[in-house]
Amino acid sequence: MVLVLALGDLHIPHRAPDLPAKFKSMLVPGKIQHIICTGNLCIKEVHDYLKSLCPDLHITRGEYDEDARYPETKTLTIGQFKLGLCHGHQVVPWGDLDSLAMLQRQLDVDILVTGHTHQFKAYKHEGGVVINPGSATGAYSSITYDVNPSFVLMDIDGLRVVVYVYELIDGEVKVDKIDFKKTAMTMHA
Amino acid sequence: MASSPRSPPPAPPVEFEISRQSRIFAALSKKVIDLDELRMLAAQGVPDAAGVRSTVWKLLLGYLPNDRSLWEQELAKKRSQYAAFKDEFLSNPVETARQVEKEGNNNDNAEHVDNGLLHRSEVAQEEHPLSLGKTSVWNHFFEYTEIMEQIDRDVKRTHPDMHFFCGDSSFAKSNQESLKNVLLIFAKLNAGIRYVQGMNEILAPLFFVFRSDPDDKNAKFAEADSFFCFIELLSGFRDNFCQKLDNSAVGIRGTLAKLSQLVAKYDAELQHHLEITTEVNPQFYAFRWITLLLTQEFNFADTIHIWDTLLSDPDGPQETLLRICCAMLILVRKRLLAGDFTSNLKLLQNYPPTNISHLLYVANKLH
Repeated sequence: MVLVLALGDLHIPHRAPDLPAKFKSMLVPGKIQHIICTGNLCIKEVHDYLKSLCPDLHITRGEYDEDARYPETKTLTIGQFKLGLCHGHQVVPWGDLDSLAMLQRQLDVDILVTGHTHQFKAYKHEGGVVINPGSATGAYSSITYDVNPSFVLMDIDGLRVVVYVYELIDGEVKVDKIDFKKTAMTMHA
Repeated sequence: MASSPRSPPPAPPVEFEISRQSRIFAALSKKVIDLDELRMLAAQGVPDAAGVRSTVWKLLLGYLPNDRSLWEQELAKKRSQYAAFKDEFLSNPVETARQVEKEGNNNDNAEHVDNGLLHRSEVAQEEHPLSLGKTSVWNHFFEYTEIMEQIDRDVKRTHPDMHFFCGDSSFAKSNQESLKNVLLIFAKLNAGIRYVQGMNEILAPLFFVFRSDPDDKNAKFAEADSFFCFIELLSGFRDNFCQKLDNSAVGIRGTLAKLSQLVAKYDAELQHHLEITTEVNPQFYAFRWITLLLTQEFNFADTIHIWDTLLSDPDGPQETLLRICCAMLILVRKRLLAGDFTSNLKLLQNYPPTNISHLLYVANKLH
């Protein structure tokens, strides 16, 4: 049972002052084993805050990140799954499933986590699964102002992943979940 | 009683040993066991060869009723209660969630993909990993992670020199699992006291004796049996583990004061020399003696022998324990009277190997 927090597009301080209080109260150290962040934090304080939640932190570069040293893409293996991380502003058209699927095949990962659109999405195609955790602060995006704060927590257990989607809608935290398994078809060489 | 004998009594003749065994057998085979008789026999030590220690301890701790005909029913009840505790307290939230799903009969194609988008299902209130809700399985799980880690560390360090408890054998590993289970369930049932370091040392002899029961039908329920007996044993000592009670009359300080008074009563010269002249306070050495019921001061076999006597006290082990501690001091009085703070402390914190029968004999005289 490995818990992986996926979030991004916080845009602190330029577009949002902080994470919503209701999210912050749930994010306590000690529960999460890994954090993967799509990018656009944008400042070091956010990096330090995430690091305090969990020492194993992975970040890819968003176009507004002040730290230029984050990589454009990152891959890591957690349990039986290979995960890929990329902010997504590089993949055009933004949010397009086919283009993202191409990136996924290039990175050769089971789960691709990407952001930029500030809209939560979870797709499945024959190459694997693409998850967009949305914007954890509800910051406006290049596409829309109507953004609900959201993030994702994945529970990786053997060949199965349960994805918990946390969204703040009308001031209340709503949690949904998505279940999927790694089958022979999505196995990578 | 300053005139306690210094030389050990002569070893009892073999016929006496055999007769002790047969007396215990006789006591145990009665339809309704006379607990006073059993206590008196146990106080002299339960012969190892008899293989009855497991049963004797269970009787002394009140786990088994003294009416033999009720044993089967009592045992079955307690053992199934423990199994229920295990189900309730030891499951991990992921497994619980899976169980619930299986019962809600979902098909394997739970992925419900519409145009590539994965189907989302609502999460029942509070059943997600970050939940802070009181009823959440997840929240409960994380609350106890720290305790589980502490218990794990302590169990691994219990009696590292014994194959029963330590090593790579599957026997040792399964014994360690059992110890951990008992301690964790105890912690969950007793939120006020949870787990305190040292509880593992008190559980260890109980579990060892029950697991070594020559009757296999009993040995395989050692975990359940030692759980209840552990609770019983600890109930007399809980106050020692409760930090808030430390300074009260019933807490550990109060108990240490009682020890001082006992030593003063039977050997005033020694008590004066120890506490006033060399300033060796009981809390420097007796804390561990008392809270861990002497499990750390002698080798395992001797500890078990001492526990035969401790458990046979009808008023609970505390009085006998204090008398034994007092006897421990009296037996090394010569060295203590000649020593200073450093040497006395060193001696008492590493108590020298002793003839246990003699020690118990002296302790008994301190009534």
